[in-house]
Amino acid sequence: MEQGRGEEPAGAAAGSPEQCTDPYLRCAFNGAAQTALGVSGSALLAHSPQGCEYLVNNAFASQECDYMETITLCTKLCVDEIVHGGEDLLARTIREAKNLPISILFVLSACGPEIVGDNIVAVCETVQPEVKFRLLPIECAGFRGSQYDGIDIALDTMLRKLVKGGGEKVPGSVCLIAPHANANPTWTADLAWVHQALSRMGIRVAATLTHRTPLSAIENAASAEASIVLSHDAGQKAADFLSASYGIEQVCRGIPQPIGMTNTQRWLSALGERFDALKAAEEMVTEGERMVMGTCRRKWPMARFLYRTPAAIVADATVGIPLVRFVTEEMEMTPELVALYSSQRQVRELLEQELRSLGLSPKVVYGTDVYKTRKALAEVRPRVVFGSTIERHASEGLGVPYVVEVVRMMRQFRMINREYFGYTGILNLFECVQNEWTMAWRSKEKRYQAKW
Amino acid sequence: MENDSIVFHGSLQQLLEKVETGEMIPRLQASHAPMCKFFTAYYVISGIRHVVPLVHGPTGCPLYMSDFVRTRECCEIRGVPLEPTACTTLDESHVIYGGEGKLLEAVKEAYAKYHPDLIVILSCCCSGIIGDDVESIAREAEKLVGCRVLALRSEGFGGDFRSGYEDAFKLIMELMEPPKTKRKATINILGARWGPNPTEFNWDLDEIERLLGDIGIQINAVIAGGCTVEQIRHAREVELNASWCYDWGQKLGDLMQERFGIPYSRTGQPYGPTATKEWLLGVAGPLGKEKDALEVIEREMREVEPDLAYMRRALEGKTAVIEISEFPGPIRALSLARMAEEFGAHPVVINVHPYTIKERMPSIRYILETGVNPEIILTKGLFHLGSFRSSKETEDELEAIVREYDNPIFFGNSGRFPPCPVVNLSLMNPAFQPQYGFRGIRNIAALIRQALENENLPRSRLFRGMLYGTRAR
Repeated sequence: MEQGRGEEPAGAAAGSPEQCTDPYLRCAFNGAAQTALGVSGSALLAHSPQGCEYLVNNAFASQECDYMETITLCTKLCVDEIVHGGEDLLARTIREAKNLPISILFVLSACGPEIVGDNIVAVCETVQPEVKFRLLPIECAGFRGSQYDGIDIALDTMLRKLVKGGGEKVPGSVCLIAPHANANPTWTADLAWVHQALSRMGIRVAATLTHRTPLSAIENAASAEASIVLSHDAGQKAADFLSASYGIEQVCRGIPQPIGMTNTQRWLSALGERFDALKAAEEMVTEGERMVMGTCRRKWPMARFLYRTPAAIVADATVGIPLVRFVTEEMEMTPELVALYSSQRQVRELLEQELRSLGLSPKVVYGTDVYKTRKALAEVRPRVVFGSTIERHASEGLGVPYVVEVVRMMRQFRMINREYFGYTGILNLFECVQNEWTMAWRSKEKRYQAKW
Repeated sequence: MENDSIVFHGSLQQLLEKVETGEMIPRLQASHAPMCKFFTAYYVISGIRHVVPLVHGPTGCPLYMSDFVRTRECCEIRGVPLEPTACTTLDESHVIYGGEGKLLEAVKEAYAKYHPDLIVILSCCCSGIIGDDVESIAREAEKLVGCRVLALRSEGFGGDFRSGYEDAFKLIMELMEPPKTKRKATINILGARWGPNPTEFNWDLDEIERLLGDIGIQINAVIAGGCTVEQIRHAREVELNASWCYDWGQKLGDLMQERFGIPYSRTGQPYGPTATKEWLLGVAGPLGKEKDALEVIEREMREVEPDLAYMRRALEGKTAVIEISEFPGPIRALSLARMAEEFGAHPVVINVHPYTIKERMPSIRYILETGVNPEIILTKGLFHLGSFRSSKETEDELEAIVREYDNPIFFGNSGRFPPCPVVNLSLMNPAFQPQYGFRGIRNIAALIRQALENENLPRSRLFRGMLYGTRAR
C-alpha cells in the first residue's frame, strides 16, 4: 500500500487505542431509525427512554418524513421498566397505536431495554394478532455500533423478514441500497438523480432500501436483477445478502459514487455495459459534460484560480472518496488530507485505489473524530477544507481561508435539495466553492461611516 | 362555555389540585417525548467554559448534543469556540465486561488532549444499567489529572428533563469553595445553560445585566451561561443569588441558601412593569440598593410610558387567550398572563398539559403564591396521539374557543391562526428580543401594535397548509 504523509488507522492515536473520542457518527439506533423511516405507510415505535426519541427525530428529518403522514412513538422507559422490565409497557403502547392507518410498525430497541433483556421479538409476536398492521422488531441498541452498523442491522432484518422470494425476476431492474448512508444533507437529490439516470437507460427500480419505499416494494425486492449500493459506508452487507439469497448481482461495485465528471462517466458506463444501454450512457455523459462546461462558461465562476491549492477533505466515505478526484481533476486543487468518518476494509481499498490512480499521497485518517481532524488540519495546514460546519470551527486559528461546507452543514439551510451526484451535482459543488470564495473576500468591518 | 372538545375548564389552582389528587394523570402520550435527563444535564454542563463533558456511553447520546448544542447553538449562535464533547464509545464488550477501566483511561486521555479546567463524566443508560461506578472513577481520576473531575449520574431513564437540570446545578455546587471574602453588591444569576447569550441580538439576560449594572450591582457568574470554573469557585462570595428564570434557578438558589446561607431572591420572570419592578427590587433591596433601583426604575418607566399607555389602551377589556403548548415555555406563558391582567385584559390560558404541572410543580406553586391564578382550558386534542407539530386538532379547538370570547386577542406564536389579532411572542424572532424588563415592554408593545393594526391583513395560506395540511380552512 502506498503511504502518503502517514496514515492513522481507525481507533488509534500515537500507537495506543483511543479511550476518548469526539465522534462524527451517531449510534446504531439512529441508523436503524433512518432506515425504518424510509418505508412509507409506516410508523416507528422506539422502545427506549425518551431521549432516544430525539435520535428518531433526527432520522425523521434525514428521511424527509412528513409529520402529517408518519408518526413516531416512544415507550419512554423509566427506572421502573429498567428494574422490572418494559415488555408490558411495550405491548400497551403497541395496542395504543392499533388504530393508526399504517401497513407496518417498526419496533426499535435501544440500549436500556436490550441490556435488561426485554424481548421485543416475543412481544411483537404476542401482540401481532391484535393489530391490523405488520409488526417488525429491530434489535438495534446504540452500543451495537455506529449509525452505519444500524443501517446494516435494519436492512438485514427487513430483508430477512419482509422479502418474499420465489417470484420471477423483472428484466432490467435494480434494487437501490442505502441511499440514506450519505452525508450530503440533501441526499435525496442524489437518489433522484440516480432514478433519472436509470430511467434514461431503461432500467427499472424494483425497490429502494430505503426512501419512501412502500412495504410491497420491499417484499418484491427479490425480483430485481441487480443491486446498486449508493453508499461506501453502509449497505454492502445487504447487497451481499441479496446476492447470496436471491442471486441478485451487484453492479458498480468498486467504483466511487458518481461525483465529478470522471466518476460519473465510470458509473454510468458500468451500468450501460451491464444493462446493454451503453449508447444511452454515452449520450448522458456527452450531454452532461457539455451542459456543465456551457453553464460554467455562461455563469463565469471566479473560484477557479485555486490551482494546486492544498486541500483537505473531511467527510463520510460516500462523499469523501469521490471528492478526491473531483477536487483534484475538476477544481485543480491538491488533496493533502483525507479524513473519513468510517474505516471499513472496502473504504480503505477504494480510497487507496483512487489515490494510486491519481498519483496522490495525502495524509489519510480513517475513522476520524473531531480531535483527530483538528490535529490533522494543524499538521497539514490546508488552504481549503471540504467538510462540515464543525471543520469551520475546528480550523479556527489554523489559517484556513476557505471551508467549503458540503456535508452536515448547519450554517446554510437548503430548501431545495441539491445533489452532488451527476452533472448538476458538479455545478452544485462548484457553487459551494464559489460562495465560500465570495464570503472569504467579504469585508468584516467598515473602515469609516457614511455621511448619510 | 359550551364546547365538546373541552376536557377541563377552571383555574390554575384547580388544575393543580386535580393533578395532585391523581384525577388528571400527568402522563404524556406515546407520541410526545421531552428531553431526557442526560440531555438537560449536558445543557447545563456545556454552559461552563473549558469543560470536557465526558459521556460514558455509546455515540448516539453525545453526538446529538454535540451537533445541536455545541456546533449549532454554541459555536454558530453564541460565539463559543469549538469545545470538545468526549465519549467513551461503549460497545457490546463493555456492556458485558464493564467500562470502568476504559472510563479511567478516557479521563486521562481527555485531560492530555484538551487541557480543560474541568471534566464532568456524564453516565448514559448503558453505563448506568451495567453499574459502572462513575463517581469512584471520578475520584480516582482526579488524582491523576490536573483539574477537577466530577461525575453525574444522568442516565436517560433516571429521571425526566427537569432532574437533569437540577442534578447538574447541584453538582456544580461541589466546585464552590468557602468564601475568603464577601463581595458587596455582587450576585450570581442562576439557571442559565448552553453558554452565553447569542452574539448578534440582545436577549433577556442582557436586559437583566443592563439594569443591574445601572443600579450598581455586579454579577460574579451567570451559572451556567458561559461562566468559568474560577467564577464558580468564587460563587459563595456573593451577597445574593437571583434567577433569570424562576423555574430553572429555583433549585440551585434554594440549595445554596440551605447549604451556604446565601439568600435567594424569589421573584418571577420580569414580564411587564410590575414584575420587572419586583424583580429588580427583589435583588436590590437585600443589597441595600433599593434607592438606586427606584431611580433606575423611575427613569426606565418614564422612557416606556408611551408604550405602557398604548398597552393599557390596547388590552383593556380584552380576553387574552394565551396558548402554552405553542408558546416557548409554560412559565413564560403564565408570566405573560400576569402581565396581560396588569393591563386590564382577562387572561385565559389554553392547554397547559398536566404533565407540565407535575414537572414544574415548585414554579407553579410559586406563581399561585404570587396571586397569579388564571383561567385554564384544556382540550381533547392535547391528549391525543400525534406529534406536537401535528397539532391540527388543537388548532381547530383553539379557533373554536377564541370564537366564544368577546374581544379576544391571542398571545402565542404565529403558527396559530385564530380569528382574532395574533401577538407573535415566539422566541424564534430575535428582532423582538428581549421580552424581559423595560426593553421587553417596548418589544411586546410593538408586537401588540402589529397584531392589532394588521389584524385584517391576509394570513399565509402557505404556512397554514405547511402546518396543518391542505385540507385546513
